[in-house]
Amino acid sequence: MSTEDRRRSGTFRFLLASWKVNLASALEYRLSFLLLAGMMFVNNMIWLFFWYLFFGRFPVVSGWEMGDVMLLWAVSAGGFGWASVLFGNFPRIATIVSSGQLDVYLSQPKPVLLNVLTSRMSVTGSGDFVFGLIVFMWAGDLSPRGCLLFACALLISGVLFIGVMVIAGSLAFWIGNAEGIASQVFGSFISLTIYPTGIFRGAAKIILFTVIPAGFIGYMPIGLMRDFNPAFAAAAFGASAIFLAVGAFLFRAGLARYASGNAMAMRN
Amino acid sequence: MNQAARTLLGIGRKQLAVVRIAFRQQWAYKADFVLRSSFLLLILYVLGQLYGAAYAGDYHLAIGGFTLRQIVWYLVFTEAITLAGPPVGVRIEEEVKNGDIAVRLTRPLSYVGYHYGAYVGEGALRFFVLLAAGALVAWLSVGPLAPGYGLFAYLPLALLGLTLSFLMTAAVGLCAFWVEETRGLEFVLQKLTFTAGGLLIPIDLMPEWLQRVCAWLPFQAALYLPARLGVRFDSQELLRACSLQLAWIAALALLVAFIFRRGVSKLHVNGG
Repeated sequence: MSTEDRRRSGTFRFLLASWKVNLASALEYRLSFLLLAGMMFVNNMIWLFFWYLFFGRFPVVSGWEMGDVMLLWAVSAGGFGWASVLFGNFPRIATIVSSGQLDVYLSQPKPVLLNVLTSRMSVTGSGDFVFGLIVFMWAGDLSPRGCLLFACALLISGVLFIGVMVIAGSLAFWIGNAEGIASQVFGSFISLTIYPTGIFRGAAKIILFTVIPAGFIGYMPIGLMRDFNPAFAAAAFGASAIFLAVGAFLFRAGLARYASGNAMAMRN
Repeated sequence: MNQAARTLLGIGRKQLAVVRIAFRQQWAYKADFVLRSSFLLLILYVLGQLYGAAYAGDYHLAIGGFTLRQIVWYLVFTEAITLAGPPVGVRIEEEVKNGDIAVRLTRPLSYVGYHYGAYVGEGALRFFVLLAAGALVAWLSVGPLAPGYGLFAYLPLALLGLTLSFLMTAAVGLCAFWVEETRGLEFVLQKLTFTAGGLLIPIDLMPEWLQRVCAWLPFQAALYLPARLGVRFDSQELLRACSLQLAWIAALALLVAFIFRRGVSKLHVNGG
């Protein structure tokens, strides 16, 4: 086995160990775990109830029907869910950098970004993920092809969430306290992924497929799952890869500028 | 002036002082709050696009009695009330849990009254900033609201709506006397306001069975009634809405007073 292979295998074992520890830690307070995950599940159900009321009055909106919006929620909540469970620190990078908590990760012989991302598991994220799966089982195409496309949609959606937030969080290396901006980006990005892309027109639509790539998540139920469009699928995969790569690059570039404080911090 | 009148005047002065202090405190962070209200602009923009697509851009079509323009202004009015309210439930829960309530109870001012004063002082500034920001988005996207008495009816009804929101949230926050965590209860309250209050969709557009359920709950009096009268003014409806809000305020004030009395009687604070 070459040195490179050994390094990869070590990183993989490190990831597995992190996830195992995170899960054990979350399950330590089982009732709290179930309550938090359940709350997120109920929250999403209430949103679906809103859509049920909305489509009860307006059955078709820009070609979208209730079933499409249900799949949109399955993809958006499911993608956000797995990203939050496995890489739960992705919305907190700005806080970690600006508060000097990064020192702890720098002192460990593991890839810094991966270490930061995996060192937390979001309990509410598991509620989102389970919600995504149940809604897909309720409204989706359960054939092997349908399940495969849903898995791809989840993958793209989760990677986009991580990529966008790593970029927004990395701004803290340059502008210091970027928590406000990162939290605005986070809230706005989520808000834009839970509405059908079909309702947006003109410049807003262009922005949603470029600067803020929420449009790729919003269009997934149509472009990938209902009427498979190879060009859209390729663009969505490409966009998720690009945003993740840009995020990783910015984080790496930012690390070179990082000047630590003298805060004593522990991993939590 | 008799003794009772002097007492009432004294209470009123203290309440006003709390409102003034909370307002000035919020004013110190006005720039931060104006920036934060950009989230409302985004939400309103997205909802405007959603309803614009639902109405296919037809400004004359009325669905459930609402035109596209009225719906967008309705959303501005409901969102302004919803987002203006400070997190009073969380504050009460914290004070009960960490014992700070003991300090407040020693002051010659009603505990709930103090929080109401702070809520109104903070909420008023936030409300007007949010209303102005929302009105700008609505004006630019669908044009001005038809001239009429709507806005004049909305402002006092919105204040009563804020009072109702305060009472509901305070009732939940005061449950901290019995349960450690009230966030779950507050979450349920928020979600009920979201649906049965008509935050994103007017109650007239909901199925009839749900409209009947909503009519028996206080949530519509907090959001839907002020917003509906703001966009579709009707003098008789105004009287009915106002009476309904006052009746709910009276009922919830009694409930809050009852919870507070029961809770405070079993309070034990150690140390200090």
